[in-house]
Amino acid sequence: MKFLVTKDLAHSTLLSYLMGSVVFAILLYLGFDMVLHAYVIGLDMQSASVTLFGDVENFVEPVLIDSLLLQVHIDLFMTLFALLILSSIFIRLYSDKVMTKWIIHLLFSLGMLAPIALLFAYFVSASLTAIWLVSFVLWHILASIVAVIILKKLLFK
Amino acid sequence: MKNIALYSLPIRYMLIYVILILVSGLWLFLLSQGLECSESIISTLKNVIASPAEKSVEGLIEVATPHLFAIGTLIFVTAHFMLFSTKFSQKLSLIVAMFLFMFALFDIFAYFAMTFGLVVSGWIKLVALSGFVLLFLFMLGLVGISL
Repeated sequence: MKFLVTKDLAHSTLLSYLMGSVVFAILLYLGFDMVLHAYVIGLDMQSASVTLFGDVENFVEPVLIDSLLLQVHIDLFMTLFALLILSSIFIRLYSDKVMTKWIIHLLFSLGMLAPIALLFAYFVSASLTAIWLVSFVLWHILASIVAVIILKKLLFK
Repeated sequence: MKNIALYSLPIRYMLIYVILILVSGLWLFLLSQGLECSESIISTLKNVIASPAEKSVEGLIEVATPHLFAIGTLIFVTAHFMLFSTKFSQKLSLIVAMFLFMFALFDIFAYFAMTFGLVVSGWIKLVALSGFVLLFLFMLGLVGISL
């Protein structure tokens, strides 16, 4: 983060291009992360419930807690780094906007809520799967919007 | 640079995320040592000391490889915020960060000592793991106070 805040963007084409490239990579990551989770857990209530709790009629076993916890562990790490990079560039470009603060709060809160809700759904109540689904999709959409806004500013300044 | 206070928001959230990552990591370790079959966490820890779960070299490398990158990066990102600190000296930050790196490596490779028969008991892994987690929490505390 220090590298992103120290140089004057107006006089550094290199930093500008580097920031644009990393944001583009994160934008791709966000899309592929959705596809990956659609395969691994499922991105609708039915398939997510089958993954978490199994399906007796179709002889599908529920996911093992080790596998689920490993997914949560990895998700937390990846979310943290994606959001740290995205938010630090976003703050740099849009620090004068009132909305910036709330977008940062929303991004990090939803990104944290998603894996926690997934674990709670597994242990406490199946209805919490909906919270995981909503928070997971929302933070990905919001982060993608932020990435597009950053790219727009960097490319068409 | 305008509105520099905004940067403290992602750092604050980072502290919470790192704590969650540490907790889920500890939980994963205990599960791999038979937490589900044991009566309590204490009995799982006693099992680790008395008879740690056997792991293959392939399994250990599979765990060690991503952790070498992930923990190294996480310590770097967390510790580099201490460059901005006006409440703690750079010398203290340096000492804590270097010990954190050492404990991280000790933690990652501790299980190899058991697998290769250098140590029979699992105490070495527990010492390494608890040392690493406590030191990381201390570093997070330093960053948190500096904000």
